[in-house]
Formats: sequence, C-alpha cells, structure tokens
Amino acid sequence: MHSAAKLTVLSIAISFVVLTLAGGGTATAQQAAQPQHAAPATPAAAQPPQPSPEGQPAQPAPAARGEADNAPADASPLLQQAEDQLDQADQELKRLADRVGAAADDDTLLAELKVQVDELSKQIISASVATRSRLDEIKARLAELGDPPGEGQPPEAAIVTEERKRLLAERGAINALTGRAENLSVEARKLANGITATRRALFSNTLLKRTEVSVAMLSEAITTTADESRALWRSVSSWLTFAWNYKRIPFLTAIFLSLCGAMIFLVGGYRLFSPFILQHEEQDEPTYFRQLSLAFWSTLIPTMALIAFAASSYFFLSSFNVLRPDIAPIIAVTLGMGVAVFFVTRLASAVLSPARSSWRLVRVSDRGARMLMVPIFAMVLVNGLDYLLGSISDSLGSPVLLTVAKSFLASIIIGLILMAMAWIRPTLRQDEPFDAPGRPWPRVISVSLLLLGAGLIAIALAGYVGLARFIATQIIVTGAILVTMYIGILTGRSVSKQGAFAETVGGRYLERRFKLEQVGLDQIGLVAGLGIYALVALFFIPLILLQWGFQIADIESWVYRFVTEIRIGTITISLVGLLAGVLFFAIGFVLTRWVQRWIDGNVMARSRVDAGVRNSIRTGIGYIGVGLAGLIGLSAAGIDLSSLALVAGALSLGVGFGLQNIVSNFVSGLILLVERPFKVGDWIVSGTTEGFVRRISVRATEIETFQHQSIMMPNSLLINASVGNWTHRNKLGRSEISVTLSYASDPRRVIDVLHEIAAAHPMVLKNPAPNVGFTAFGDERMTFELRIYVADVLTAGNVRNDIRVSIYERFRDEEIGAPFPVKVEDTTPEEATPSDIEIPAAEEEKAEIQPEESETRRRSFGTRSSRR
Amino acid sequence: MAMKTVVAALLCSMFAAGVANAAMVTNKDGESAILVIVEGESRIEVVVDSGATEMICPSGCFVTAPSGDHIGLQGDETIEIVNGSVVVK
Repeated sequence: MHSAAKLTVLSIAISFVVLTLAGGGTATAQQAAQPQHAAPATPAAAQPPQPSPEGQPAQPAPAARGEADNAPADASPLLQQAEDQLDQADQELKRLADRVGAAADDDTLLAELKVQVDELSKQIISASVATRSRLDEIKARLAELGDPPGEGQPPEAAIVTEERKRLLAERGAINALTGRAENLSVEARKLANGITATRRALFSNTLLKRTEVSVAMLSEAITTTADESRALWRSVSSWLTFAWNYKRIPFLTAIFLSLCGAMIFLVGGYRLFSPFILQHEEQDEPTYFRQLSLAFWSTLIPTMALIAFAASSYFFLSSFNVLRPDIAPIIAVTLGMGVAVFFVTRLASAVLSPARSSWRLVRVSDRGARMLMVPIFAMVLVNGLDYLLGSISDSLGSPVLLTVAKSFLASIIIGLILMAMAWIRPTLRQDEPFDAPGRPWPRVISVSLLLLGAGLIAIALAGYVGLARFIATQIIVTGAILVTMYIGILTGRSVSKQGAFAETVGGRYLERRFKLEQVGLDQIGLVAGLGIYALVALFFIPLILLQWGFQIADIESWVYRFVTEIRIGTITISLVGLLAGVLFFAIGFVLTRWVQRWIDGNVMARSRVDAGVRNSIRTGIGYIGVGLAGLIGLSAAGIDLSSLALVAGALSLGVGFGLQNIVSNFVSGLILLVERPFKVGDWIVSGTTEGFVRRISVRATEIETFQHQSIMMPNSLLINASVGNWTHRNKLGRSEISVTLSYASDPRRVIDVLHEIAAAHPMVLKNPAPNVGFTAFGDERMTFELRIYVADVLTAGNVRNDIRVSIYERFRDEEIGAPFPVKVEDTTPEEATPSDIEIPAAEEEKAEIQPEESETRRRSFGTRSSRR
Repeated sequence: MAMKTVVAALLCSMFAAGVANAAMVTNKDGESAILVIVEGESRIEVVVDSGATEMICPSGCFVTAPSGDHIGLQGDETIEIVNGSVVVK
C-alpha cells in the first residue's frame, strides 16, 4: 500500500518534471527565435551580417571596412576614426593584460592597472558613442526614403534605391563597429574584474597585510556600497522581471519542485526517524544518550531538508535556463549561506535546548540558554552576511575596498558580540535547578571571551582586516565544528558506558536478533564507542585543518606519511606495515587453527590414530603454524629477519643466564610431545603430585589432582624426574585389599572366602587371576591381602568398595571374625610393674619404647592405606 | 558620536549623488521590448514594458535594440524606444 502510494507520487513528479522541461524547452526556443523576429525589422537589404553577440570581434571588421570604403565621403572619416580608436584600444588592452599577468602579486600595481583598464573601457564606449549621431542620421534619412516598393507597386527612382542601399550598408557597418566595441568592452571588463578578483584573493589569502583604515576609506566604501546595492537591485529586479514575464512556468516549477524535494526529505526523515524523536519527546527524564540522539537527528533532518531544497532549487533553476550568469553565483552563495546559518543555529538550539531544560546537553540555566542563543545567532548571521556580500561584490565586480570595509565591520561586530557574551551568566552549580538565575562564567572563559573580542577589534582597527576576518570566521566555524565533535565524543562515551548500549535501538536489535548476553552487548558497546571516537577524529580533524587553510593534498600526504613511515631517530615505523603484519599473523593463525581442526577431525579421526598422537600432531601443527604466521607477520611488518639474528644472539646470551629455565621447559615440552611418556587424560604421579594430565603446553603441563586442584608442572621436571603413569600402555591395574583377623580365624577358610568374593565380582579380571596372600603375623592378628586386577584402573576404587562390603558381610554371616582390628584387651600382666625398680635406667627406657613401638606398628596395621 | 554623524551625512550624500548617474529608458511602443544590455562581463536581457521607464547601465554599456541596432551608452543618457528602435535624446 505504502509502496504503491510512493510510486504514484514518484510518477506524478516525474511527469511534472518532463512537462516543465518541455515547457522550458519551448521557452528557450522562443527566446532563440526572438532575434530572428527582430531581424526582419531591420531592412532586408542590410548586407553585412549582424555580428554574432559572442566572440569574433575581428571578423566582421574587414567587411565593415570594405563597406565603409564604398560609403559616402562624409561618413567615412567618422567611421575610420572610430575604427582607429578601437584598434588602439585593442592593442592597449593586450598590453595591459600582459602587465596584469606579470604583476599578479603586487597589489599596488594591480590597483593602478585597474584604473587604466577602467579608463580604457570608457574610451571604447566613447568611441562607439561617437558613431551614434551618424546612425541617427541614417535612420532619419531611411525613414524619409520610406520602405522599398512591394510587389505590384510602381518601381521607385533608381537614385532612391541606390541611396537606400548605400545607407543600409553604412548602417550595417556602424552596427558591426559597435559590435566590435562591445566585445572589446566585455574583454576590458573581464580584465578589470580579473584584477579585482586577484586583489580580493590577495586580501583574503594574505593574513598579515595591512590596510589603511581611515574615514576617507570608509566614506569611499559607503559610496561604493550605495553603488553596489543599486547594481544588485537592478540585476536582481531585471532578472526577476525577465524570469516572471518570459519564464514564469519554469521559474515557479523549479521552486515548487525544490519545495517538494525538501518536503520529501523532511517528512521522510521524520517518518523514518520518528522512533528516535517522537518517542523521546514524551519522556521527562531522558537518558543522556537519548538526549544526544535527539539533538543529532533534530539537527540533521531539517538541515538535510534545507540542503535538499537549496541544491534542488539551484539545480532546477539552472536546468530550466532560468538563471543568468551574473545571478547564478549570487543565488548559489545565498542558498549556501542560508544552509550554513540554519545549521549552526539549529545545532546551537539542539545543544542549548532553550525551551526544555531536561533535554539540554550542557548544564546551563534556562535564562542563560536563551541569552546564549542570541549572540551565537548574531555572530553566525554577521559572518554569513560578510561572506554573502563578499561574493555578491565578487560577481558584480565591485572594488576590493568594499570587501575590506565589510570584513572590517563584520570583525568589529563579532568582536563586540564576543565581549558581550562575557557578561552572560549561564553557569549553574550541581545542586541548582535549571530556572535558577545562573552564575557568571568561570573566570577563564569570561576573560578569554573579553580578550578575544578586544583582540579582534584591535586587530581590525590596526588595519589587519584580513587577519581579523580570518580569526572571526575561525571562531565561528571551528567553534561549530568543535561543538559537533564534542557531541560526537559524548555520544561515544555514553555508548561505551556500562549497560548503555543495550538501551539503544541497535543494542535492542542485536539482543533480539543474535540473542546476545549483557556482557556481549557491553563489549559491542565499547567497540561502538571506540568506533565513534575514531570516526569523529577521522572526520573532524581534517575538517578543522581544511578550515585553517591547509589543502587536502597536504593532509593526504601527512596521513600517508604518518601511516607509512614514522621516523624515530634512525628507526622507521610503518603503521600500515605493522597492521599488515598483524593481519597476516591473524590470517596465518586462523589458517593454522583450521588446518589443525581439519587434520584432527577428518584425517586422524578416520584413521583411528591414538589420541595421544593426535594431540601431539595437533599441538605440533599449532606450533609450526603460529611460528610461520609470526615470521610472515614480522616480514610483512617490515622488520628485517636478518636483524632477528641480533635478537637471537642476545637471546642466546639470555638463555645462558635467565631464560635457561624457560627454554629448557620449552624443549622439554617438545620432547614430551614426541616421546609421549603420557598423554592428556593419563593418570600420572611425579614426586608428590598425582593426578590426571589435562593439557600439555609449551612451558608446563597441567595436572588436575583428585581434589580438582590444577597444578602447573614445568615440563623440565616431568622430563628430568621419574614419572609414574598408571595408564601408559593400558589401563589394567592391580589393587590390594588388606584384611586383618585375629588368630581365632581359620586362615584357609579365610583365603577361600576371599577368593570366592573376588571371583564373584564382575569387574575383577579372571586373567590375571586374583590372588590372596597371607602376608604377616601380627602381634594380635594375621594379615591377609587380596590382590585383584581390574581392566580400568580408574574403576578400582569402586571395585574395592564393593569387595570390602562383601567381605564384611560374608565374614559376619559366616562368623569368621571381624576383618578389621578390634580393640584388644591388653593382657600385659600388671605385676611387671614392681620389677621396674630393679631394672636399670637403660633397660627401663627400652621397655618403655617397646610397647610404644608395638603400639605404633599395630596402629599402622590398622590404618594401613589400602586404596589400591 | 561624531563618527555616526559623519557616516550618516556621507550616506545621505552618496545616495543623493548616486541616483542621478544612470541611463533612463522609456518604452514609447505599444508592446514591451527586450533590450540586450552588455554591461561588465555579462549580457543581460532587460524587459521594458510598454510605457514603462527603466534605469540601466550606470557606468556605460552597449544596448542592442529590438531593431537589431547596436549602440554604445555612456550612462547618463535618456533613451526612448520608438518603433523597436532606440532613440537617444
């Protein structure tokens, strides 16, 4: 539905344009036909062709001269004299043009030459004015002679025909002469305007050129202003009259179409971005990011619409041939200035937001915001008008003096406005509401405003008008750019704030579309913020530099040099090279990972390679790939690999001293990969460390103990010390369970029962078969040991558990006795104690130690670890 | 204050002096005429309605009349358009 409506609107607009272009075409055709209508008005017998308006000044002249020779004797001297004057003027003009070309930098000489050229163009006009009386005579005589007789009328006397012919020829000659004078005068004017343009450029481009500022100069400026305004009024009104009378339809259509373009932009922009604007306006307490986005869009959309209006109206006016060469630059500059003033004002009002304090981007009082808007607008307007009037002077060819005077005035006004701004009291304390009266600027700002304004006025009064104008323009334009930059930076900062990105439209979209977590969004927000900073720097710093008169080529070469070679002493660093190095390394890294995965997943998994080998190969490929990528990256970064030899030399010295450990660990890691004494997942014991191997990396091997403590064991330790591996060739493992019984039990019976229990367990291997050993005669007990083999040593713990439970139950059921140490009544006779007295001290010590020893031994039997 | 007076006086005198210096064109014909005026660098078409008077070229120019005649003007003349032809008074 929407697209259909849009299509209709579009087709209507296109047909309208086509119709109007056709109308404009006919208008031009009419215009072209007008001289042809005019031509019959001149007597048909006029022999010399009308000189074409443009160019060919010399061509008709010989013909005219030839005719003039035939002309009566009384007309000839007058024409001849004018002809000579024009020849002279022509030569003079050429001479002056040469001198102007030679004196392009000398302002004084140019000014003198300008006077001479003006004089010359007066002479040219007066030369042609001299022929006017003769033309009047001829016209009067021709009127007396009347029109030649038409068809069927009686023929007139031959002498009359002859005279008419002669008069018409002379009239043609005079017209040709005037045409030549016209062309010469145009050339002279072009030269004069060229001189003025050069002088104006000298004025604008030479900052430190002093101009005498005096009352006489100002009064002359006022005279020229009056002249210029009349000239402007005449140009514009004659153009408007002409356009209205003869090109009404194209003129109105151009304006209508450009208004349509602006409307489309405005409405389209607001509709497209209404979620950014309307929804926000309803809120009373907007977040800072929303304030910023509102400021941004509410500045951008109307400005874009206005730009569309300006560009399209200029485009349509010029394509419908409504514009005239002298009007076109004035219109263009007026439109451009309108856009610039509107943009800066809009920006200021978006930042200050005088009406709604909650949307204000800077913390100033209500009254301060309103007051600040005035000088900002005034300064922009004055500066814009300065430029507008300057280019009007340019297109009208007004004297340079006028440009100087206008810039002088503009600088002084801007200086005064700056000084006035120092007295505004906009600032607020943190705790004050927006409608508080406000406090004066901080001292630094007010003083610098005053100094800036006073300095500007002083510079202008001292005669350095060019400099004053430059500074005034810079204050406004650079200020506007800096404010925009500041807003951009604030945007970046508020986007990268924690949790801020998730609030934005883009953040919400990403959250919906890719189901991102808060942390991911925050990271994206950080990247987005940095991106905004980069964009701001990339866009606005060149803009400011351009403003300061640097050329694009300069900036390009700076950037190029900055990117390709930064010299620090004798070292040259190339950012592009470094970036390329990093890029190549990244590509190599990704490629390595991909190859690793492919070989591991496709090739080795299908060929059923042992997991340890797989791991080794994968890690080896990883090392080789990363090493290669590093080398490629280094050479891409422009670092000479031969200079690495030096580094290697230094490193080898370092290896001798401090890096020894690290290198030996690295080499040990490589050996571990090749030799494979253990692989990931193995259960190893080294020294006091026991656990599963989780990862074998360059320097250390990660071992996870049974308590899930990760231990990084340096590879060199694993190589140098003995390492026990429970699961090296296979996972077969032996496990022992010791059983202690009192001497009351029957050992054979016990052994049989233990055999039965072991055989009954499904996870105990039949081969190697379990066996039972009668291992020790204790003081009170016999010790048996049941040795079983399990296929997977990792399951041994569970098997032992099961078997212990079974042993306990069977022994209890069969009343064999408790398979564990029971508190035994100490049957040591008490009567031994009296004999203590007889025993010598040394003996007594032994006796004391003995029971203790036996006690310890007994205890150690009881608590013997039987984990395996 | 003195400056202001000077400026005002100058302004008045300039306007008084400036107005006199231009050519006046009066169209005596029954229909409006188009004059092609070459003044400065530009070639502009000026429409003079029937019976109307226009101020043209203050500093000298060339005029092409509807009849096709070219004439030079110094800028202080009074001109009439009669039968498509330019008559300098």
